[in-house]
Amino acid sequence: MNPIETFMHAVWIAENDLRQSFKSVRHVVWSLLFPLFMMFTFSFRYGSTGGIDVDFLTFLIPGIVGMTAMFGSINETMSIVWDKSLGVFDRILVAPVSSISIVLGKTIAGAVMGVLSAVVLLIVGSILFSVAWANIGLIFLVVLLASFSFTGIGTIISGLASEPREAMMLSNLLRFPMMFLGGVFFSIDVMPMPLPYIARALPLTYATEGLRAVQAGMMSTVFFDALVLFAYTVGTILVGSQILMKIMTR
Amino acid sequence: MDSAIRVEELTKNFGSLLAVDHVKFEVKSKEIFGLLGPNGAGKTTTIRMICGMLTPTSGTVVVAGFDVSQKPQEVKRRIGLVPDISNLFGELSARVNLEFFGKLYGLNRATRKERIDYVLGLFQLRERQHNLVKFYSKGMHRRLTIAAALLHQPEILIMDEPTSGLDAQTARLVREIIRDLNKEGRTVLLTTHQIDEADRLVDRVGIIDHGKLITLDTPEQLKNNVQGVRALEIRLLNDADLQRWVPLISKVEGVDQVVLAEGRLRILSKALPEMIPAVVELIAKQGGQIENISVLQPSLEDAFISLTGKSIREESLSKEDSLHNRLSRSGLR
Repeated sequence: MNPIETFMHAVWIAENDLRQSFKSVRHVVWSLLFPLFMMFTFSFRYGSTGGIDVDFLTFLIPGIVGMTAMFGSINETMSIVWDKSLGVFDRILVAPVSSISIVLGKTIAGAVMGVLSAVVLLIVGSILFSVAWANIGLIFLVVLLASFSFTGIGTIISGLASEPREAMMLSNLLRFPMMFLGGVFFSIDVMPMPLPYIARALPLTYATEGLRAVQAGMMSTVFFDALVLFAYTVGTILVGSQILMKIMTR
Repeated sequence: MDSAIRVEELTKNFGSLLAVDHVKFEVKSKEIFGLLGPNGAGKTTTIRMICGMLTPTSGTVVVAGFDVSQKPQEVKRRIGLVPDISNLFGELSARVNLEFFGKLYGLNRATRKERIDYVLGLFQLRERQHNLVKFYSKGMHRRLTIAAALLHQPEILIMDEPTSGLDAQTARLVREIIRDLNKEGRTVLLTTHQIDEADRLVDRVGIIDHGKLITLDTPEQLKNNVQGVRALEIRLLNDADLQRWVPLISKVEGVDQVVLAEGRLRILSKALPEMIPAVVELIAKQGGQIENISVLQPSLEDAFISLTGKSIREESLSKEDSLHNRLSRSGLR
């Protein structure tokens, strides 16, 4: 099968996946409503001089955007465990489609969902909280890399879980601690030992740090965070695709 | 006649479970071939290996002249699979489902539209084509699953339990569709655990049990093989423990085999009707009450019993459960 055909199959599989996700309440709740809720709840913080703490908002909103990419991507990869339990992989594999297309399709779908969810929060952040995004190209790059690495993590969870409830449980077990340790709501510098070390092992930390660095114009930090996220992407997607391949071509 | 599917010494192990054991058969071009066996006999596993969805432990499968292990994509282009469980996307409409699979089979936009319109019409689904598949009835699901398998006009149609779980009317419709597709020149390989279906529908049937192909012949020939043997079916009144009668009746002179089939005792014998009084007397003496007794002509079921020593209807559920449990425990399903 030629590479173009393999890629086109992946695109159609991703398109088909996303088409279903847009109709699903679970997706809307986890990918958008939950991050929006967190954004509004934490924005009610008053500064020392009274009124809304603007400094905190400039800290919070990029963090929420990174977190949204995480929720969107991991949530999308939950479709893998549903497909597994409903026999959808079998259905696709009966067609002249290679398993690489399926893995690629699922990865594209996860990353697209992460980016799209983050974009909604970017827009909401700039309209309602007047956040001025410094360099939209770099913001997009960090969000994209973060989405890919979260997709890789989600693929591993979904591939290992034996049924949907188990996958949801595992993903929440990972998402919630990551949300609080990944520097979304407070800087990892203020965390007690040994939490900063744990935070440094999480991709969300690099996503939030990278997005804030773009806003602050600290290019070397952006570069470093992007590199770490890229390494995460390669690592998790390699492991995730190995697990998926094993499920499909046993 | 050419062979559409050739299976040679096909074997599949799931850990220590031998699901398919050196199975060998050939499906001729343009015939309807049936694999008959109880649930858990290895039919679905065999089908999955033929379609290239499962790698055999050993053995070869050649479909339309292509070795499945060497040229899986060539094989996939030429077959249409109707799986035992309808696995289409419930959150999407029938049309969107068919669009997606049409794309995967490489049909261009115009061909896709033409083929989708055709199969939706053929299976009387055109009016509901924009409804979500999850709201479909079981029969509509089945028809759509067959429609999806026919989209790319495969020369070989492989159907796993095509009428399983359907009401009588829909099952009849599906059987008519299968016959029509065969008349159009398509080869059909189907699996079934229903004797009637094999008897009425297929040109040749292979009986499979415990992963082994026991025999392969036309239904007529299989019935001829048990010629001279007739079956006596007895239904007892209020008897919870039918199993206890099996060894008792087996001892009656002239009785060849006794099995349980759907709450009835089925007795095979060459000495019918002469041995009836002895059986009736034994049942009365042991405190049993006969509700109904009938003598039947040999059926494919009796061929199955004389070959395997049991009824196909007797233990289907427990065997299916055991295979499913084994597979899910080993993380394979």
